[in-house]
Amino acid sequence: MYLPERYEFFCPVKINSGNRALEHVPFELDALNARKPLVVAGKDVGERGLVGVIIDAFKDSGLAIGVYDGVPSAPDLKLIRELFNIYRDRGHDALIAIGGGSAADTAKVLNIAVSGKPEDIEGCAGENLIKKPLKPLIIVPTTAGTGYEVSKYAFFAGRDYASHFLMPNLAVIDPRMTIPEDAVTTAAAALFALTHAAEAYTCPGKNPLADAYAYTAIQLIMANLVNVIGDQRDKNGRLSLANAHAMAGCAFSNVALGVAHKLGKVMGDLCHLPQGLCMGMLLPRVLEREMSEGGYHIADLLLPLAGFDTYASTAADMKARRAVEIIHDLLKDLSAANGGAISRIWKDIQVSEDTLQDIAQRAGVNEASFDIDGCAKILREAREGR
Amino acid sequence: MKNFREVAAGKKSLKKDYVAVMMWFMGRAIQAAAAVDMAAKKEFAGMPDGFTFALSVMPNGPHMIIGKDQRGFVRYKGWDPDGNKIDLDMKIKNIEAALLLFTFQESTTLATARNRLVVDGDVAHACAVMRILDIVEVYLLPKIIAKLAVKRYSGWSFRRKYLGRVLVYVRSIFSF
Repeated sequence: MYLPERYEFFCPVKINSGNRALEHVPFELDALNARKPLVVAGKDVGERGLVGVIIDAFKDSGLAIGVYDGVPSAPDLKLIRELFNIYRDRGHDALIAIGGGSAADTAKVLNIAVSGKPEDIEGCAGENLIKKPLKPLIIVPTTAGTGYEVSKYAFFAGRDYASHFLMPNLAVIDPRMTIPEDAVTTAAAALFALTHAAEAYTCPGKNPLADAYAYTAIQLIMANLVNVIGDQRDKNGRLSLANAHAMAGCAFSNVALGVAHKLGKVMGDLCHLPQGLCMGMLLPRVLEREMSEGGYHIADLLLPLAGFDTYASTAADMKARRAVEIIHDLLKDLSAANGGAISRIWKDIQVSEDTLQDIAQRAGVNEASFDIDGCAKILREAREGR
Repeated sequence: MKNFREVAAGKKSLKKDYVAVMMWFMGRAIQAAAAVDMAAKKEFAGMPDGFTFALSVMPNGPHMIIGKDQRGFVRYKGWDPDGNKIDLDMKIKNIEAALLLFTFQESTTLATARNRLVVDGDVAHACAVMRILDIVEVYLLPKIIAKLAVKRYSGWSFRRKYLGRVLVYVRSIFSF
Protein backbone atom coordinates (compact mmCIF):
# COMPACT_ATOMS: atom_id res chain seq x y z
CA MET A 1 0.00 0.00 0.00
CA TYR A 2 1.44 3.32 -1.10
CA LEU A 3 1.15 6.09 1.47
CA PRO A 4 2.45 9.47 0.33
CA GLU A 5 4.34 11.64 2.76
CA ARG A 6 1.45 14.09 2.65
CA TYR A 7 -1.93 14.09 0.97
CA GLU A 8 -5.40 15.63 1.09
CA PHE A 9 -8.70 13.98 0.31
CA PHE A 10 -12.10 15.63 0.20
CA CYS A 11 -15.38 14.07 -0.86
CA PRO A 12 -18.48 15.57 0.75
CA VAL A 13 -20.88 14.03 -1.77
CA LYS A 14 -23.47 11.73 -0.26
CA ILE A 15 -24.30 8.88 -2.60
CA ASN A 16 -27.72 7.30 -2.51
CA SER A 17 -27.79 4.27 -4.76
CA GLY A 18 -30.17 1.44 -5.51
CA ASN A 19 -33.76 0.38 -5.98
CA ARG A 20 -36.21 3.28 -5.43
CA ALA A 21 -33.35 5.62 -4.51
CA LEU A 22 -35.15 8.55 -6.16
CA GLU A 23 -38.05 8.30 -3.72
CA HIS A 24 -35.61 9.33 -0.97
CA VAL A 25 -34.93 12.71 -2.61
CA PRO A 26 -37.77 14.59 -0.80
CA PHE A 27 -36.39 13.32 2.53
CA GLU A 28 -32.88 14.42 1.57
CA LEU A 29 -34.16 17.83 0.46
CA ASP A 30 -35.84 18.24 3.82
CA ALA A 31 -32.50 17.50 5.49
CA LEU A 32 -30.97 20.22 3.31
CA ASN A 33 -33.69 22.68 4.35
CA ALA A 34 -35.07 22.88 0.82
CA ARG A 35 -38.74 22.81 -0.08
CA LYS A 36 -39.00 23.69 -3.76
CA PRO A 37 -36.37 22.30 -6.11
CA LEU A 38 -35.85 23.21 -9.74
CA VAL A 39 -35.18 20.15 -11.89
CA VAL A 40 -32.77 20.77 -14.78
CA ALA A 41 -32.59 18.07 -17.43
CA GLY A 42 -31.26 17.61 -20.93
CA LYS A 43 -33.57 17.45 -23.95
CA ASP A 44 -32.79 13.78 -24.40
CA VAL A 45 -33.80 13.03 -20.82
CA GLY A 46 -37.18 14.62 -21.40
CA GLU A 47 -37.63 12.75 -24.67
CA ARG A 48 -36.80 9.43 -23.00
CA GLY A 49 -39.47 9.97 -20.34
CA LEU A 50 -37.04 10.01 -17.43
CA VAL A 51 -38.43 13.29 -16.08
CA GLY A 52 -41.67 11.43 -15.41
CA VAL A 53 -39.80 9.10 -13.05
CA ILE A 54 -38.61 12.09 -11.01
CA ILE A 55 -42.09 13.62 -10.92
CA ASP A 56 -43.48 10.28 -9.79
CA ALA A 57 -40.87 10.06 -7.05
CA PHE A 58 -42.13 13.38 -5.61
CA LYS A 59 -45.73 12.19 -5.38
CA ASP A 60 -47.02 12.18 -1.84
CA SER A 61 -44.09 14.31 -0.70
CA GLY A 62 -46.12 17.50 -0.48
CA LEU A 63 -43.41 19.33 -2.45
CA ALA A 64 -43.99 21.22 -5.70
CA ILE A 65 -41.18 21.12 -8.23
CA GLY A 66 -40.22 23.14 -11.28
CA VAL A 67 -39.06 21.14 -14.28
CA TYR A 68 -36.94 22.42 -17.14
CA ASP A 69 -36.10 19.66 -19.61
CA GLY A 70 -34.60 21.55 -22.51
CA VAL A 71 -30.87 21.81 -21.78
CA PRO A 72 -29.12 21.44 -25.15
CA SER A 73 -25.80 19.64 -25.62
CA ALA A 74 -24.01 23.02 -25.86
CA PRO A 75 -25.81 25.36 -23.43
CA ASP A 76 -24.99 29.06 -23.30
CA LEU A 77 -25.19 31.95 -20.83
CA LYS A 78 -28.61 32.99 -22.16
CA LEU A 79 -30.01 29.74 -20.79
CA ILE A 80 -28.43 30.40 -17.40
CA ARG A 81 -30.05 33.85 -17.27
CA GLU A 82 -33.46 32.37 -18.14
CA LEU A 83 -33.12 29.63 -15.55
CA PHE A 84 -31.89 32.17 -13.00
CA ASN A 85 -35.08 34.20 -13.52
CA ILE A 86 -37.26 31.11 -13.12
CA TYR A 87 -35.40 30.09 -9.97
CA ARG A 88 -35.71 33.54 -8.41
CA ASP A 89 -39.26 34.40 -9.54
CA ARG A 90 -40.81 31.07 -8.62
CA GLY A 91 -39.14 30.80 -5.25
CA HIS A 92 -37.00 27.72 -5.79
CA ASP A 93 -34.42 26.87 -3.17
CA ALA A 94 -32.49 23.89 -4.55
CA LEU A 95 -31.39 22.36 -7.85
CA ILE A 96 -31.73 18.83 -9.14
CA ALA A 97 -29.81 17.96 -12.31
CA ILE A 98 -30.73 14.86 -14.27
CA GLY A 99 -27.97 13.41 -16.39
CA GLY A 100 -24.26 13.98 -16.64
CA GLY A 101 -22.66 16.23 -19.21
CA SER A 102 -24.41 19.44 -20.10
CA ALA A 103 -27.30 19.16 -17.60
CA ALA A 104 -24.92 18.66 -14.66
CA ASP A 105 -22.62 21.45 -15.88
CA THR A 106 -25.60 23.78 -16.37
CA ALA A 107 -26.89 23.03 -12.86
CA LYS A 108 -23.46 23.60 -11.34
CA VAL A 109 -22.97 26.93 -13.10
CA LEU A 110 -26.59 27.94 -12.44
CA ASN A 111 -25.91 27.23 -8.78
CA ILE A 112 -23.13 29.84 -8.82
CA ALA A 113 -25.63 32.35 -10.22
CA VAL A 114 -28.53 31.59 -7.86
CA SER A 115 -26.24 31.53 -4.83
CA GLY A 116 -25.06 35.03 -5.67
CA LYS A 117 -25.77 36.94 -8.85
CA PRO A 118 -25.52 35.96 -12.54
CA GLU A 119 -22.41 38.12 -13.02
CA ASP A 120 -20.52 35.80 -10.64
CA ILE A 121 -20.39 33.17 -13.37
CA GLU A 122 -17.62 34.96 -15.21
CA GLY A 123 -15.63 35.83 -12.11
CA CYS A 124 -15.75 32.28 -10.75
CA ALA A 125 -14.32 30.60 -13.86
CA GLY A 126 -10.96 29.10 -13.01
CA GLU A 127 -9.44 27.21 -10.13
CA ASN A 128 -10.89 27.69 -6.61
CA LEU A 129 -12.48 31.07 -7.24
CA ILE A 130 -15.79 30.23 -5.58
CA LYS A 131 -15.47 31.43 -2.02
CA LYS A 132 -18.65 30.30 -0.26
CA PRO A 133 -20.99 27.30 -0.17
CA LEU A 134 -23.69 27.24 -2.82
CA LYS A 135 -27.38 26.24 -2.69
CA PRO A 136 -28.30 22.57 -2.30
CA LEU A 137 -27.55 20.60 -5.45
CA ILE A 138 -28.60 17.03 -6.19
CA ILE A 139 -27.41 15.23 -9.29
CA VAL A 140 -29.09 12.15 -10.73
CA PRO A 141 -26.75 10.51 -13.24
CA THR A 142 -28.13 8.70 -16.25
CA THR A 143 -26.22 6.33 -18.51
CA ALA A 144 -24.43 9.32 -19.96
CA GLY A 145 -23.07 10.18 -16.52
CA THR A 146 -19.31 10.19 -16.56
CA GLY A 147 -18.36 10.97 -12.98
CA TYR A 148 -18.18 14.69 -13.66
CA GLU A 149 -21.50 14.91 -11.90
CA VAL A 150 -19.93 14.21 -8.51
CA SER A 151 -16.69 16.02 -9.26
CA LYS A 152 -15.52 19.52 -8.44
CA TYR A 153 -15.33 20.41 -12.14
CA ALA A 154 -17.74 22.11 -14.52
CA PHE A 155 -17.26 23.06 -18.14
CA PHE A 156 -19.63 25.62 -19.50
CA ALA A 157 -19.64 27.87 -22.56
CA GLY A 158 -15.90 27.59 -23.05
CA ARG A 159 -15.09 28.23 -19.39
CA ASP A 160 -13.55 25.75 -16.97
CA TYR A 161 -14.59 25.79 -13.32
CA ALA A 162 -12.93 23.88 -10.50
CA SER A 163 -14.04 24.25 -6.89
CA HIS A 164 -15.07 21.94 -4.08
CA PHE A 165 -18.18 24.09 -3.69
CA LEU A 166 -19.36 22.81 -7.08
CA MET A 167 -19.63 19.26 -5.79
CA PRO A 168 -23.26 18.27 -5.27
CA ASN A 169 -24.67 17.54 -1.83
CA LEU A 170 -26.11 14.29 -3.09
CA ALA A 171 -25.79 11.97 -6.08
CA VAL A 172 -28.73 9.63 -6.59
CA ILE A 173 -28.06 6.51 -8.62
CA ASP A 174 -31.34 4.79 -9.45
CA PRO A 175 -31.49 1.90 -11.95
CA ARG A 176 -34.62 3.40 -13.52
CA MET A 177 -32.54 6.38 -14.63
CA THR A 178 -29.75 4.32 -16.18
CA ILE A 179 -31.83 3.13 -19.10
CA PRO A 180 -29.35 2.81 -21.97
CA GLU A 181 -29.28 5.28 -24.82
CA ASP A 182 -27.05 3.25 -27.12
CA ALA A 183 -23.96 1.08 -26.85
CA VAL A 184 -21.61 3.83 -27.98
CA THR A 185 -22.78 6.27 -25.28
CA THR A 186 -22.57 3.56 -22.64
CA ALA A 187 -19.06 2.56 -23.72
CA ALA A 188 -17.87 6.16 -23.96
CA ALA A 189 -19.13 6.97 -20.45
CA ALA A 190 -17.53 3.84 -18.99
CA LEU A 191 -14.19 4.44 -20.74
CA PHE A 192 -14.29 8.02 -19.48
CA ALA A 193 -14.68 6.70 -15.94
CA LEU A 194 -12.08 3.95 -16.45
CA THR A 195 -9.57 6.55 -17.62
CA HIS A 196 -10.22 8.72 -14.58
CA ALA A 197 -9.96 5.79 -12.21
CA ALA A 198 -6.86 4.29 -13.83
CA GLU A 199 -5.07 7.64 -13.95
CA ALA A 200 -6.04 8.42 -10.34
CA TYR A 201 -4.72 4.98 -9.34
CA THR A 202 -1.37 5.39 -11.10
CA CYS A 203 -0.62 9.10 -10.84
CA PRO A 204 2.20 10.44 -8.64
CA GLY A 205 -0.33 12.27 -6.42
CA LYS A 206 -2.28 9.11 -5.59
CA ASN A 207 -3.40 8.51 -2.03
CA PRO A 208 -5.04 5.59 -0.21
CA LEU A 209 -8.53 7.11 -0.11
CA ALA A 210 -8.61 8.06 -3.79
CA ASP A 211 -7.20 4.57 -4.44
CA ALA A 212 -10.16 2.98 -2.67
CA TYR A 213 -12.64 4.77 -4.94
CA ALA A 214 -10.55 4.17 -8.08
CA TYR A 215 -9.96 0.49 -7.25
CA THR A 216 -13.67 -0.24 -6.83
CA ALA A 217 -14.58 1.78 -9.92
CA ILE A 218 -12.11 -0.21 -12.06
CA GLN A 219 -13.37 -3.52 -10.67
CA LEU A 220 -17.00 -2.63 -11.37
CA ILE A 221 -16.24 -1.48 -14.91
CA MET A 222 -14.18 -4.58 -15.73
CA ALA A 223 -16.85 -6.88 -14.32
CA ASN A 224 -19.80 -5.26 -16.09
CA LEU A 225 -18.92 -3.16 -19.12
CA VAL A 226 -18.74 -5.83 -21.82
CA ASN A 227 -21.87 -7.55 -20.46
CA VAL A 228 -23.84 -4.31 -20.47
CA ILE A 229 -22.72 -3.47 -24.00
CA GLY A 230 -23.87 -6.95 -25.06
CA ASP A 231 -27.15 -6.78 -23.12
CA GLN A 232 -28.25 -3.28 -22.24
CA ARG A 233 -31.21 -4.61 -20.25
CA ASP A 234 -28.77 -5.83 -17.59
CA LYS A 235 -30.16 -3.67 -14.75
CA ASN A 236 -27.59 -4.65 -12.13
CA GLY A 237 -24.77 -4.17 -14.62
CA ARG A 238 -26.01 -0.68 -15.46
CA LEU A 239 -26.33 0.18 -11.78
CA SER A 240 -22.78 -1.07 -11.21
CA LEU A 241 -21.46 1.08 -14.05
CA ALA A 242 -23.29 4.17 -12.77
CA ASN A 243 -21.73 3.57 -9.34
CA ALA A 244 -18.32 3.15 -10.95
CA HIS A 245 -18.73 6.48 -12.76
CA ALA A 246 -19.51 8.26 -9.49
CA MET A 247 -16.59 6.62 -7.69
CA ALA A 248 -14.19 7.49 -10.48
CA GLY A 249 -15.45 11.07 -10.27
CA CYS A 250 -14.69 11.18 -6.54
CA ALA A 251 -11.22 9.75 -7.15
CA PHE A 252 -10.21 12.11 -9.92
CA SER A 253 -11.48 15.12 -7.99
CA ASN A 254 -8.69 14.44 -5.52
CA VAL A 255 -5.73 14.05 -7.85
CA ALA A 256 -4.34 15.99 -10.79
CA LEU A 257 -5.94 15.34 -14.18
CA GLY A 258 -4.07 12.73 -16.18
CA VAL A 259 -2.56 12.85 -19.65
CA ALA A 260 -5.11 10.51 -21.28
CA HIS A 261 -7.91 12.66 -19.86
CA LYS A 262 -6.40 15.91 -21.14
CA LEU A 263 -5.56 14.61 -24.61
CA GLY A 264 -8.83 12.71 -24.96
CA LYS A 265 -10.89 15.72 -23.95
CA VAL A 266 -9.26 18.02 -26.51
CA MET A 267 -9.35 15.31 -29.17
CA GLY A 268 -13.06 14.73 -28.56
CA ASP A 269 -13.79 18.44 -28.80
CA LEU A 270 -11.72 19.02 -31.95
CA CYS A 271 -12.76 15.88 -33.78
CA HIS A 272 -16.43 15.99 -32.58
CA LEU A 273 -16.19 12.55 -31.02
CA PRO A 274 -17.31 11.15 -27.65
CA GLN A 275 -14.52 12.18 -25.28
CA GLY A 276 -14.72 8.84 -23.45
CA LEU A 277 -13.93 6.88 -26.64
CA CYS A 278 -10.91 9.10 -27.27
CA MET A 279 -9.69 8.72 -23.69
CA GLY A 280 -10.18 4.96 -23.79
CA MET A 281 -8.21 4.73 -27.03
CA LEU A 282 -5.36 6.79 -25.57
CA LEU A 283 -5.23 5.27 -22.08
CA PRO A 284 -3.13 2.14 -22.83
CA ARG A 285 -0.68 4.18 -24.93
CA VAL A 286 -0.26 6.74 -22.17
CA LEU A 287 0.30 3.95 -19.64
CA GLU A 288 2.87 2.31 -21.92
CA ARG A 289 4.70 5.59 -22.17
CA GLU A 290 4.60 6.08 -18.38
CA MET A 291 5.78 2.50 -17.96
CA SER A 292 8.83 3.17 -20.10
CA GLU A 293 9.54 6.22 -17.95
CA GLY A 294 9.41 4.12 -14.77
CA GLY A 295 5.77 4.62 -13.74
CA TYR A 296 5.91 2.02 -11.00
CA HIS A 297 2.26 2.32 -9.88
CA ILE A 298 1.07 0.83 -13.17
CA ALA A 299 1.86 -2.66 -11.91
CA ASP A 300 -0.62 -2.08 -9.07
CA LEU A 301 -3.33 -1.50 -11.66
CA LEU A 302 -3.30 -5.20 -12.52
CA LEU A 303 -5.06 -6.09 -9.27
CA PRO A 304 -8.33 -4.20 -9.87
CA LEU A 305 -8.17 -4.89 -13.61
CA ALA A 306 -7.71 -8.65 -13.46
CA GLY A 307 -8.30 -9.83 -9.89
CA PHE A 308 -6.22 -11.67 -7.32
CA ASP A 309 -5.48 -14.84 -9.29
CA THR A 310 -3.97 -13.08 -12.30
CA TYR A 311 -2.15 -10.60 -10.09
CA ALA A 312 -0.62 -13.37 -7.99
CA SER A 313 0.34 -15.54 -10.95
CA THR A 314 2.04 -12.73 -12.88
CA ALA A 315 5.73 -12.12 -12.32
CA ALA A 316 6.49 -8.79 -10.62
CA ASP A 317 8.31 -7.35 -13.63
CA MET A 318 5.44 -8.33 -15.95
CA LYS A 319 2.56 -6.91 -13.94
CA ALA A 320 2.58 -3.45 -15.54
CA ARG A 321 2.82 -4.92 -19.06
CA ARG A 322 -0.05 -7.32 -18.30
CA ALA A 323 -2.21 -4.46 -16.96
CA VAL A 324 -1.80 -2.54 -20.22
CA GLU A 325 -2.55 -5.69 -22.24
CA ILE A 326 -5.79 -6.17 -20.32
CA ILE A 327 -6.92 -2.66 -21.22
CA HIS A 328 -6.06 -3.38 -24.87
CA ASP A 329 -8.10 -6.60 -24.61
CA LEU A 330 -11.03 -4.70 -23.12
CA LEU A 331 -10.97 -2.27 -26.03
CA LYS A 332 -10.89 -5.18 -28.48
CA ASP A 333 -13.86 -6.82 -26.72
CA LEU A 334 -15.77 -3.56 -26.85
CA SER A 335 -14.95 -3.16 -30.53
CA ALA A 336 -16.29 -6.62 -31.24
CA ALA A 337 -19.42 -6.16 -29.11
CA ASN A 338 -22.59 -4.58 -30.45
CA GLY A 339 -21.91 -5.46 -34.08
CA GLY A 340 -18.70 -3.46 -34.26
CA ALA A 341 -20.41 -0.04 -33.83
CA ILE A 342 -17.64 1.24 -31.56
CA SER A 343 -14.93 -0.22 -33.74
CA ARG A 344 -16.32 1.66 -36.76
CA ILE A 345 -16.18 4.98 -34.89
CA TRP A 346 -12.56 4.37 -33.96
CA LYS A 347 -11.65 3.40 -37.51
CA ASP A 348 -13.46 6.39 -39.02
CA ILE A 349 -11.62 8.95 -36.92
CA GLN A 350 -9.88 11.29 -39.33
CA VAL A 351 -7.04 13.04 -37.53
CA SER A 352 -4.57 14.84 -39.76
CA GLU A 353 -0.98 15.46 -38.69
CA ASP A 354 -1.80 19.15 -38.12
CA THR A 355 -4.79 18.33 -35.92
CA LEU A 356 -2.62 15.92 -34.02
CA GLN A 357 -0.09 18.64 -33.23
CA ASP A 358 -2.93 20.99 -32.38
CA ILE A 359 -4.38 18.52 -29.87
CA ALA A 360 -0.97 17.96 -28.29
CA GLN A 361 -0.50 21.71 -27.93
CA ARG A 362 -3.96 22.55 -26.61
CA ALA A 363 -4.06 19.71 -24.08
CA GLY A 364 -1.73 21.65 -21.79
CA VAL A 365 0.12 18.58 -20.61
CA ASN A 366 2.97 19.60 -18.39
CA GLU A 367 4.50 16.34 -17.20
CA ALA A 368 8.24 15.73 -17.67
CA SER A 369 7.78 12.71 -19.91
CA PHE A 370 4.99 14.23 -21.97
CA ASP A 371 6.15 17.23 -23.95
CA ILE A 372 4.23 18.25 -27.07
CA ASP A 373 6.20 15.83 -29.25
CA GLY A 374 5.61 13.03 -26.76
CA CYS A 375 1.87 13.71 -26.76
CA ALA A 376 1.81 13.88 -30.55
CA LYS A 377 3.61 10.53 -30.67
CA ILE A 378 0.97 8.93 -28.43
CA LEU A 379 -1.82 10.33 -30.57
CA ARG A 380 -0.08 9.04 -33.69
CA GLU A 381 0.35 5.59 -32.17
CA ALA A 382 -3.28 5.51 -31.15
CA ARG A 383 -4.35 6.57 -34.65
CA GLU A 384 -2.26 3.90 -36.29
CA GLY A 385 -2.88 1.15 -33.78
CA ARG A 386 -6.65 1.37 -33.56
CA MET B 1 -40.46 29.70 -21.00
CA LYS B 2 -40.56 26.72 -23.33
CA ASN B 3 -39.68 23.37 -21.75
CA PHE B 4 -40.49 24.66 -18.25
CA ARG B 5 -43.43 23.60 -16.14
CA GLU B 6 -44.32 23.61 -12.49
CA VAL B 7 -45.60 20.33 -11.13
CA ALA B 8 -47.63 20.02 -7.95
CA ALA B 9 -46.89 16.93 -5.90
CA GLY B 10 -49.42 14.28 -6.76
CA LYS B 11 -50.80 11.60 -4.51
CA LYS B 12 -50.28 7.87 -4.16
CA SER B 13 -53.62 7.30 -2.47
CA LEU B 14 -53.99 3.61 -3.22
CA LYS B 15 -50.52 2.76 -1.90
CA LYS B 16 -51.08 4.95 1.14
CA ASP B 17 -54.42 3.28 1.87
CA TYR B 18 -52.90 -0.17 1.57
CA VAL B 19 -50.11 0.69 4.00
CA ALA B 20 -52.62 2.31 6.38
CA VAL B 21 -54.74 -0.86 6.46
CA MET B 22 -51.66 -3.03 7.00
CA MET B 23 -50.47 -0.78 9.82
CA TRP B 24 -53.92 -0.79 11.40
CA PHE B 25 -54.04 -4.57 11.44
CA MET B 26 -50.38 -4.89 12.46
CA GLY B 27 -51.02 -2.55 15.40
CA ARG B 28 -53.92 -4.66 16.64
CA ALA B 29 -51.83 -7.81 16.11
CA ILE B 30 -49.00 -6.37 18.20
CA GLN B 31 -51.47 -5.70 21.00
CA ALA B 32 -52.71 -9.29 20.66
CA ALA B 33 -49.21 -10.81 20.51
CA ALA B 34 -48.20 -8.91 23.64
CA ALA B 35 -50.95 -10.77 25.50
CA VAL B 36 -50.44 -14.17 23.87
CA ASP B 37 -46.74 -14.67 23.11
CA MET B 38 -44.12 -15.04 25.85
CA ALA B 39 -41.26 -13.66 23.73
CA ALA B 40 -43.29 -10.57 22.82
CA LYS B 41 -44.29 -10.12 26.48
CA LYS B 42 -40.62 -10.29 27.43
CA GLU B 43 -39.68 -7.64 24.87
CA PHE B 44 -42.41 -5.31 26.17
CA ALA B 45 -41.35 -6.02 29.76
CA GLY B 46 -38.04 -4.35 28.92
CA MET B 47 -39.87 -1.11 28.08
CA PRO B 48 -40.91 1.28 30.83
CA ASP B 49 -44.60 1.63 31.72
CA GLY B 50 -46.17 4.51 29.82
CA PHE B 51 -43.76 3.96 26.92
CA THR B 52 -45.22 4.81 23.50
CA PHE B 53 -43.75 4.10 20.11
CA ALA B 54 -44.85 4.94 16.59
CA LEU B 55 -44.15 3.52 13.16
CA SER B 56 -44.82 6.26 10.61
CA VAL B 57 -44.41 6.93 6.92
CA MET B 58 -42.85 10.27 6.05
CA PRO B 59 -43.91 12.96 5.46
CA ASN B 60 -47.61 12.71 6.38
CA GLY B 61 -48.34 9.20 7.52
CA PRO B 62 -49.98 6.76 7.85
CA HIS B 63 -48.94 6.11 11.45
CA MET B 64 -49.23 3.23 13.86
CA ILE B 65 -49.10 4.13 17.57
CA ILE B 66 -48.53 1.50 20.22
CA GLY B 67 -48.34 2.27 23.92
CA LYS B 68 -47.73 0.43 27.15
CA ASP B 69 -50.00 1.81 29.85
CA GLN B 70 -49.15 2.36 33.51
CA ARG B 71 -50.39 -1.13 34.40
CA GLY B 72 -48.09 -2.70 31.81
CA PHE B 73 -50.80 -3.55 29.25
CA VAL B 74 -49.92 -2.99 25.60
CA ARG B 75 -52.49 -1.06 23.59
CA TYR B 76 -52.80 -0.15 19.92
CA LYS B 77 -53.48 3.57 20.17
CA GLY B 78 -54.64 4.22 16.61
CA TRP B 79 -53.14 6.12 13.69
CA ASP B 80 -53.22 9.67 14.94
CA PRO B 81 -49.99 10.74 16.62
CA ASP B 82 -51.60 13.97 17.92
CA GLY B 83 -52.21 13.83 21.64
CA ASN B 84 -49.69 11.05 22.15
CA LYS B 85 -46.26 11.62 23.64
CA ILE B 86 -44.08 9.48 21.39
CA ASP B 87 -40.97 8.12 23.10
CA LEU B 88 -39.71 6.20 20.09
CA ASP B 89 -40.56 7.30 16.56
CA MET B 90 -39.57 4.94 13.76
CA LYS B 91 -40.11 6.73 10.46
CA ILE B 92 -40.10 5.09 7.05
CA LYS B 93 -38.65 7.65 4.64
CA ASN B 94 -41.35 7.44 1.98
CA ILE B 95 -44.45 5.55 0.92
CA GLU B 96 -42.54 3.43 -1.63
CA ALA B 97 -40.19 2.19 1.09
CA ALA B 98 -43.24 1.43 3.26
CA LEU B 99 -44.76 -0.49 0.38
CA LEU B 100 -41.62 -2.60 -0.03
CA LEU B 101 -41.88 -3.37 3.68
CA PHE B 102 -45.59 -4.13 3.81
CA THR B 103 -45.62 -6.17 0.62
CA PHE B 104 -42.83 -8.19 2.25
CA GLN B 105 -40.34 -7.53 -0.55
CA GLU B 106 -37.98 -6.26 2.14
CA SER B 107 -37.76 -7.35 5.74
CA THR B 108 -37.65 -4.75 8.50
CA THR B 109 -33.98 -5.48 9.14
CA LEU B 110 -33.13 -5.22 5.44
CA ALA B 111 -35.07 -1.96 5.16
CA THR B 112 -33.11 -0.64 8.14
CA ALA B 113 -29.83 -1.81 6.62
CA ARG B 114 -30.78 -0.02 3.39
CA ASN B 115 -31.39 3.23 5.25
CA ARG B 116 -35.09 3.30 4.55
CA LEU B 117 -35.95 3.99 8.20
CA VAL B 118 -35.06 6.80 10.57
CA VAL B 119 -35.21 6.20 14.29
CA ASP B 120 -35.84 8.99 16.78
CA GLY B 121 -35.35 7.54 20.22
CA ASP B 122 -33.58 4.77 22.07
CA VAL B 123 -31.88 2.29 19.72
CA ALA B 124 -32.21 -0.63 22.16
CA HIS B 125 -36.00 -0.14 22.28
CA ALA B 126 -36.06 0.20 18.47
CA CYS B 127 -34.33 -3.19 18.20
CA ALA B 128 -36.93 -4.65 20.58
CA VAL B 129 -39.70 -3.27 18.37
CA MET B 130 -38.04 -4.87 15.34
CA ARG B 131 -38.02 -8.23 17.10
CA ILE B 132 -41.68 -7.80 18.09
CA LEU B 133 -42.59 -7.01 14.47
CA ASP B 134 -40.81 -10.20 13.39
CA ILE B 135 -42.78 -12.25 15.93
CA VAL B 136 -46.08 -10.73 14.81
CA GLU B 137 -45.29 -11.32 11.14
CA VAL B 138 -44.62 -15.01 11.84
CA TYR B 139 -48.04 -15.22 13.49
CA LEU B 140 -49.86 -13.36 10.74
CA LEU B 141 -48.24 -14.67 7.58
CA PRO B 142 -47.87 -18.10 6.01
CA LYS B 143 -44.31 -19.41 6.24
CA ILE B 144 -43.49 -18.83 2.56
CA ILE B 145 -44.18 -15.07 2.92
CA ALA B 146 -43.04 -14.68 6.52
CA LYS B 147 -39.59 -16.01 5.54
CA LEU B 148 -39.21 -12.98 3.28
CA ALA B 149 -40.45 -10.57 5.92
CA VAL B 150 -38.43 -11.58 8.97
CA LYS B 151 -34.73 -11.68 9.71
CA ARG B 152 -34.73 -15.33 10.77
CA TYR B 153 -37.70 -17.70 10.60
CA SER B 154 -37.61 -19.54 13.92
CA GLY B 155 -38.65 -23.15 14.42
CA TRP B 156 -41.54 -22.64 16.83
CA SER B 157 -43.45 -25.47 18.51
CA PHE B 158 -46.75 -26.50 16.94
CA ARG B 159 -48.65 -25.19 19.98
CA ARG B 160 -46.97 -21.81 19.96
CA LYS B 161 -47.29 -21.33 16.23
CA TYR B 162 -50.80 -22.52 15.47
CA LEU B 163 -52.62 -21.96 18.75
CA GLY B 164 -50.85 -18.61 19.02
CA ARG B 165 -51.82 -17.74 15.47
CA VAL B 166 -55.50 -18.43 16.15
CA LEU B 167 -55.40 -16.36 19.34
CA VAL B 168 -53.54 -13.47 17.68
CA TYR B 169 -55.99 -13.41 14.78
CA VAL B 170 -59.06 -13.61 17.03
CA ARG B 171 -57.73 -10.93 19.38
CA SER B 172 -56.71 -8.73 16.43
CA ILE B 173 -60.10 -8.96 14.77
CA PHE B 174 -62.08 -8.34 17.96
CA SER B 175 -59.45 -6.04 19.45
CA PHE B 176 -59.01 -7.36 22.97
